[in-house]
Amino acid sequence: MQQIYYIIRKEFKQIFRTREMIAIIFIAPLIQMLVLGFAITNEVKHVKLIISDRDDSFISREIIMGFQNTDRFDFLGYLNSNQGLKDAIQGWKAQMAIVIPTGFSHDLQRNLRPEIQLIVDGVDGNTAGVALGYAQGIISQFSQNYLNHPRKRINFKKVHWAQQEERMWYNVNLDTAQHMVPGIVVVLITIISMMLSAMNIVREKELGTLEQLMVTPIRKHQLLLGKLIPFLFLTFVELAIVMKVAQLIFSIRMEGSLFLLFGLAFLFLFTTLGLGIFVSTITQSQQQAMFVSWFIMVFMLLMSGLFIPIENMPLLLKKLTYLNPMRYIMYIMRDIFQKGSSIQYLAKDVLPMTFYGLVIFIFGVLKFQKRVN
Amino acid sequence: MLAIARKEFLHIIHDPRSLMIIFAMPIIQLAMFGYALDMEIKNVDLAVINYDNSIQSQHLVEQFEGSEFFNIFAYNGSTDDMEQLFLERKAKAVLIINHDFAQSFHRNISTPVQIIIDAADPNAGTLIKNYCSQVIIAFNQKYASRPTLPLEVESTIWFNPDLKSAFFFVPGLLALLLIMICALLTSITITREKEMGTMEQILVSPVKANEIIIGKVLPYIGISILVGALILVIGIILFGVPFNGSYTLLFLLSTLYIITALSLGLMISTIASTQQVAMMIALIATLLPTMFLSGFIFPLSAMPKILQIISHIVPAKYYLMIVRGVLIKGNTFFQLMEPTLILVLMTFLLLIIALRRFKGNLES
Repeated sequence: MQQIYYIIRKEFKQIFRTREMIAIIFIAPLIQMLVLGFAITNEVKHVKLIISDRDDSFISREIIMGFQNTDRFDFLGYLNSNQGLKDAIQGWKAQMAIVIPTGFSHDLQRNLRPEIQLIVDGVDGNTAGVALGYAQGIISQFSQNYLNHPRKRINFKKVHWAQQEERMWYNVNLDTAQHMVPGIVVVLITIISMMLSAMNIVREKELGTLEQLMVTPIRKHQLLLGKLIPFLFLTFVELAIVMKVAQLIFSIRMEGSLFLLFGLAFLFLFTTLGLGIFVSTITQSQQQAMFVSWFIMVFMLLMSGLFIPIENMPLLLKKLTYLNPMRYIMYIMRDIFQKGSSIQYLAKDVLPMTFYGLVIFIFGVLKFQKRVN
Repeated sequence: MLAIARKEFLHIIHDPRSLMIIFAMPIIQLAMFGYALDMEIKNVDLAVINYDNSIQSQHLVEQFEGSEFFNIFAYNGSTDDMEQLFLERKAKAVLIINHDFAQSFHRNISTPVQIIIDAADPNAGTLIKNYCSQVIIAFNQKYASRPTLPLEVESTIWFNPDLKSAFFFVPGLLALLLIMICALLTSITITREKEMGTMEQILVSPVKANEIIIGKVLPYIGISILVGALILVIGIILFGVPFNGSYTLLFLLSTLYIITALSLGLMISTIASTQQVAMMIALIATLLPTMFLSGFIFPLSAMPKILQIISHIVPAKYYLMIVRGVLIKGNTFFQLMEPTLILVLMTFLLLIIALRRFKGNLES
């Protein structure tokens, strides 16, 4: 016990000796959370728009007005030649063009269903898709108004239809941060507990101080505990700070039990700390350790559903995600934060996660040899 | 200088594991993004609570069944305990048909159809909502008489008609991997020499500071070009990314970007004293902005002003424009003048500051 305490004290001294290290542990995660929390959105604004109004009528101007009165589009101006449109989009000047053909209002009034053309630059697929959706929305709004105009009103008495009424549960305002921030929290605790612990152990190897520790009478489990407990502690401190900031800045709602959240996070840390030890056994330098753990982390992240919902994946990948411990904690975090799920609904995630965690941890510990090969 | 380059090269070769990761990483990421970065959701689990056993409600359910979007099943519980479906993740949406659906459909102009959507993930929620409206519009066209739109909208998507995700993530991955290798790895190797004390040994040798640096980064330039070529070849062959512009132009501008990234890495190494610090700074100063503030995946236009301002100094933003421009739009050098000039300017600034600091560090 005494020995473990000494090692822990040494680790803390070492960690807090450099100002930079404190910045790494406490400030870096906050920056990451702020950037990710604000940056991950599929909303699109200020799409650079040019309009080719070949009808130049009262009605065509009414449509164009719909595009000018929104911050989703930045109206750049009129351009009538086809070549001009092409040059503007290819040369990154505009992202979208609307072409209203000659005779549009004439055809509209005679019920000939005239055609409006929307041209969008598909290079940025996300923006293109969203911008098209907005544009179609504005045009169909115009159509509705046009149909509802007293002169045009159809006799509604004969008409019956079904009207969709949707309720968005758990996230009425469709705020992306509510969904992303709990996921980012997982990433942050993984970085601290896996990457930093691996690099910390390897650092002793690289500097040769691990050999010095080995000739001391400290036992292997004492050494490991002494190394891991500080990181465990730091991870929880960070978790608490990050959650507090998330609530303040992103007004993240926490629906579930805080106690449950910390308890299940602790179970997940078996996986990350185990991986940290494992990485330290197969690498010789901090550069390698960082690289290998980065590789493992990117892989786990991509397969965790953080950015790419697991439901969207092809079947084979979907099945592979069941092997990924991070998949479970991602669901757990988000469900506790957003839905306030209790343990009974999370058991099917907790069990496999704990199982993987223990296996990885035991494997890592067994592989860690307290001797120089 | 060449001797240092050779030493650094041997150093890299001696570590086959890292080398393997450098080459395996882009391939795995390509495969993941290529097959998984599909924003469409299919087979949304939709539970149906049908209180109205009429032909009309049957038609509505069949309309949902016939859609490729939904994987539909009947739920026998009531609306009071349907939250269980969401908590157990058995359903993403619940369709509720009231007991007077058929009656109201005959009598009233508009009959509400309630759909409860699990919008915990707002993107998925919005998509599901849109799928539902498509089904209900189809239902109305078949069974109801709702006035149709008086005009038609024809959408044309240029350069990427099928909105294939590969067209935008292959350039993004190129920007990401190049900066990762150049900035992250170089900053760490240089800091490593500092931390291990070997930098001082090199310094007492008659090699000049500039030569040390150039020697150290040369092998990484080589690796970057190889990895870049690998990503492009896979992207073109497997994912059908076009190459509409000039090879020489892309090669030259990519080299420019590599030099920018190296200068950034060098700059970081002058700030950091240990490898762990270098890694953390490199992660925050390069990877994070390259992934999230360059327009790689998420559009910049709706982000807070401060992030948009920061995005102007992210080299990847300009390189992304260059790669997308050359590959997909077939841009000429003239059309890419602006991003090129900005990258050149950035590189000069970074290099001047980094060399100053590097020499300053040596003298102290």
